[in-house]
Amino acid sequence: MHRQEGLEALGFRIVMWGLAALSFVLLLAPSLVVVVVSFTSGYSLKFPPPGYSFRWYVSLLDAWQLQFAAGNSLEIAAATTALSVLLGVPAALAIARSPTARARALDSLFMSPLVLPALSFGLASLMFFSLIGLPVSPLTLVIGHVVVCVPYVMRTTIASVAQLEFSLLESSASLGASRWYTFRRITLPLIRPGILAGAFIAFMSSFDNVPVSLFLRDARTDMLPIRMWQDLEGKLDVSIAAVSGVMIVVTLSLMILMERVAGLSRRLR
Amino acid sequence: MQNDPAGASLTIDRVAHRYGNAVALEQISLSVAGGELVSLLGPSGCGKTTLLRIIGGFIAQSAGRILIDGQSVDRQPPNKRTVGIVFQNYALFPHMTVAANIAYGLEARGQTRSVIQARVNEMLALVRLGHLADRMPRALSGGQQQRVALARALAVRPSILLLDEPFAALDKNLRLDMQIEVKRIQRLSGTTTILVTHDQEEALSLSDRIAVLNQGRLEQLAEPSTIYDRPASLFVNTFVGSTNILPGVLVSATAESAVVALDGGGHIRTRAPTPVQGQAAIPGDAVVACVRPEHLRIVDDEAGLHGTVEMGLPLGATIVHELRTATGASIKIAEPRGVGALPRPPGARVTLQAVSPDSINVFKPAA
Repeated sequence: MHRQEGLEALGFRIVMWGLAALSFVLLLAPSLVVVVVSFTSGYSLKFPPPGYSFRWYVSLLDAWQLQFAAGNSLEIAAATTALSVLLGVPAALAIARSPTARARALDSLFMSPLVLPALSFGLASLMFFSLIGLPVSPLTLVIGHVVVCVPYVMRTTIASVAQLEFSLLESSASLGASRWYTFRRITLPLIRPGILAGAFIAFMSSFDNVPVSLFLRDARTDMLPIRMWQDLEGKLDVSIAAVSGVMIVVTLSLMILMERVAGLSRRLR
Repeated sequence: MQNDPAGASLTIDRVAHRYGNAVALEQISLSVAGGELVSLLGPSGCGKTTLLRIIGGFIAQSAGRILIDGQSVDRQPPNKRTVGIVFQNYALFPHMTVAANIAYGLEARGQTRSVIQARVNEMLALVRLGHLADRMPRALSGGQQQRVALARALAVRPSILLLDEPFAALDKNLRLDMQIEVKRIQRLSGTTTILVTHDQEEALSLSDRIAVLNQGRLEQLAEPSTIYDRPASLFVNTFVGSTNILPGVLVSATAESAVVALDGGGHIRTRAPTPVQGQAAIPGDAVVACVRPEHLRIVDDEAGLHGTVEMGLPLGATIVHELRTATGASIKIAEPRGVGALPRPPGARVTLQAVSPDSINVFKPAA
């Protein structure tokens, strides 16, 4: 009896560890392959590479089209993040503190871009902007990105406001603090990690957004993910692997930084 | 301390509150003198926390007035009321050190840095936490957190201090220490204090006066010994301390004493029936006689109440017996225990007498 339980437990552990290892491989292997290939000395995306060099990273220094697209993507992502925080945080504060059905409805409304197909939203917003006579421009692109990125800021901010103990705010008031003083000294510092975490995800999500950018970009706003796809499609260019390598390294560094300042993984649970 | 030793007076004038259709408080009036510590005591849902939140300004009452030093504060939001509060969970600001927590209220009031520094040091000395000034709240024990919360609330020299079940989160030994500590600090600062609690021992030991609340009504406001010895209602008698309830019929009553014929057989001499809401029992009424376990004695006499021992517990300083009477009612007796005294065996037949008729309160039973 005891022995059989031991066997069952062992079987369970083997299956669980196996599944964990499989997911690990599926999640990490593609990134590893792309990073390894980016150091190839050859002219193709063949794996394993015939030899290793930094040539494709060096080539990025002259790739003005990719640089231009990367610059655009960074600018759009920065503007999108700033606007998402400015709009999302006040909305989150109002929604998190209100118990009404109206607040719940607004919550669901603001979250809907996360579930609705982004391609249909991209098309719809293109039609909408031309209907109201707003030409496609960096502005329309930022507006489009904000709609799909603001839910991340709201989600993490609402979660951190919900964790905020109400008695802290009441204590602050009883000590003579005005509402604004309480917000500045108590509320904001305590929800700041949540806002930072949301802003980070919003930034990353804007930076590699394809579906909305596809419809709302123009020649001036050539976006990096789309440029990468076009280059890959047209030229099978190995420098794209190098761009991927750079992006993976930058993202990982940012994630480590956010983990330190905002406890990112705790915010996303 | 530079506080006004008299403290501010607090008047609760016919305050009533309802949540929707549910009545939380019915016309409560009570006056608290400057420097006094008054407990609001009652079971959960009695309205004590609602009343505390009304005094703090977190809830606007449906009717009635709150006056501090004779001035109405009903139109003042919490941050203008100078009412300090210590919550059950202490609500320390987790991102600030102990010193910064204590300084917070002074900073919010725009005091100068030197004034703040001096006051923070004074408060740290008062609660004996000078060595922990730079710690974060999460690095403190429960008792230390509570002292910080108290120091933070007192730093701004509140006119009234509200304590919301402040000892509930502490374990038993620490609780007693902190009760003594809070009483010491309250005496030193001379701050008028309202303590909300459901713990009768806490209320009895700390309060100058106790307001017993039940279902939104003020049942009694009196000194602890009066609450215990001369409860104004059956509820107060049963909620504060333990008591034996003996049903019977009132036979006769004078201004000083009365005689009750117990349903279990026999007559007992008691205090005059206690009037509840202006109505006292008259002879012939069904009543209950309430007698506390420590006011009963097992005697060798034949006259008295008869019962059979169900269980005897030697509790160190006292011996507690549980008896069953002929009608099946259970009665507890607590007697001082002499050296080597053992409880009586189960099944023993014994006779009981009250220590004095004055220790037996008579009420009309609850309708």
